[in-house]
Amino acid sequence: MIRFDSVSKIYPTRAGEVRSLDGVNLEIRAGEFVALRGPSGCGKTTMLLAAGGMLRPTSGRITVGDESLYSLGPAERARFRARNIGFVFQMFHLVPYLDVLDNVLLAAVPSGLAKAEAGKRALGILDRLGLGPRLSHRPADLSTGERQRAAIARALLNQPRLLLADEPTGNLDPANEREVFIHLREFHRAGGTVVIVTHGNTANDYADRVVSMESGKVVG
Amino acid sequence: MIALVIRELWHRKFNFLLGALAVTVAVALVVAYVTTADAAQRETVRVTRDMGFNLRIIPRSTDMDRFWAEGFSDQTMSDDSVGKFVRHTNAFFAFNHLVASLQRRFPVGDRDVILSGLGPTVTASAQQGRPMGFEIKPGTVHLGFQVAQRLGRKQGDKVELGGRVFTVARALVESGTDDDIRAFVTLAEAQQLLHLEGRINEIKAIDCLCLTADQDPLSILRAELEKALPEAKVLQMRVLADARARQRRMIESYAGFVTPFLLIACAVWVGALAILNVRERRAEIGVMRALGFGSGRIAGLFLGRAAAMGVFGALAGYAAGSAVALRVGPQIFQVTAKSIVAQPSLLGWALIGAPVFAAIALFIPTVLAVTQDPAMTLREE
Repeated sequence: MIRFDSVSKIYPTRAGEVRSLDGVNLEIRAGEFVALRGPSGCGKTTMLLAAGGMLRPTSGRITVGDESLYSLGPAERARFRARNIGFVFQMFHLVPYLDVLDNVLLAAVPSGLAKAEAGKRALGILDRLGLGPRLSHRPADLSTGERQRAAIARALLNQPRLLLADEPTGNLDPANEREVFIHLREFHRAGGTVVIVTHGNTANDYADRVVSMESGKVVG
Repeated sequence: MIALVIRELWHRKFNFLLGALAVTVAVALVVAYVTTADAAQRETVRVTRDMGFNLRIIPRSTDMDRFWAEGFSDQTMSDDSVGKFVRHTNAFFAFNHLVASLQRRFPVGDRDVILSGLGPTVTASAQQGRPMGFEIKPGTVHLGFQVAQRLGRKQGDKVELGGRVFTVARALVESGTDDDIRAFVTLAEAQQLLHLEGRINEIKAIDCLCLTADQDPLSILRAELEKALPEAKVLQMRVLADARARQRRMIESYAGFVTPFLLIACAVWVGALAILNVRERRAEIGVMRALGFGSGRIAGLFLGRAAAMGVFGALAGYAAGSAVALRVGPQIFQVTAKSIVAQPSLLGWALIGAPVFAAIALFIPTVLAVTQDPAMTLREE
């Protein structure tokens, strides 16, 4: 599903170069649930964003499905991302002026999903995630757990093959953390591939495999 | 996308209203300027015209030493000279407001006055024959300040000139020039009193200021006169002519300077607010990128904002600009106040121009939004 071949990402800084990814080789199979673990600054988020077509590596090649991601032009890559990849972030990043339903429907704009179909899917997903009564609420009116579930619903709208989650439970209490993992596992059991960046140990109970990183390298 | 733009505007009303206010000010400024421009132009023409004649066309044979000593030419030319001059094709290219006159010292009481006979004002057809100074009716006299004082005459009194009785139409206020020792009558009556029928000794005029800055006005005036009226020569009252030219150029360059300056200031204002808007929306732009929004759609969000700002600014600016022009304009341009009227066609131009103006002002912020690295934003957040 995802393949990293000698992928490096170097950031130039005033203090010199920072090697965020250092010759990473990794393969994640379709339908796998993988947790990326490691200390802060070890390159986990960089790896996730690069896998999502959001961050061009300095060198190396990243393949998602059959597509060499960075061989695509920016517009094609954006289209590919809209149709195949869902993102969930630690800070949720819901659009503050849209209600829960419209935040989820936002994902249908770039994917070209028909309005009626998008509406039907959104209502189904939100109901499944327990947000049925919160459809017309703005993000500011939701609890943190509800916000993250709304963000997961948005990521799932286009029925992606791959779900990339960057510390999605970092701001949640244990009960909400478990709930998020349950929803990710449901997606995984339905055949989806999940890659999650996490600090905690809860992921061990849900992931098929834990990949450890250190100083931009996969160490285990 | 349109719904998204509208919801964002509603969510960030304050930022939008501040931006729309800047566009409104810009549009109002242009509308007020254009609405009053004609009146301002005409007012300036009137003000500079009222500075008086600055050209004196006198017989070529005039002895200049005596001319400057006496204040008028001792030679004469036919009073058909004005007609002959205006029939020349390019007469009004360089000259305007032509007034034929005959001036001579003339005894009134125990002293001489300068008897001045003035013909009707001859102007270019576009000027509609508006007279310079005052009109003189036959049988009346306008007495200079000093003459009226010496004779003890005021408006409505009678005064005898060369055996003929004239009614004093006006006793002029003190001018500080030799006009104070003049008595003004019609040209025909002056010719009769002086026994110089059909003769004049000067044509007063104003240069028409159709000349460009690199042209030497006096040489052009002389060349034109040479062709039209070879028996005459022209003197230019340089200080007055320069003052007229400076006044007109000043008013034109002032508007030319102030308007673009204020428009740029408004554009910077709109742009600065938009940069704040982009900064505030960095995470939103980042997540939209993550969802698969392309550069076109991201730019569309900001250009949609510019269009909304432009339409709002055009409507409000047209209303405000017209109101200011109609209310304040007549107080500034009192003489030409009637020419200040609302111009509905400006609304159409405003509705086209204001969104373009806002889009130009939002160009840099939009580029910032489109080129912003979403990964960096999402990592930072």
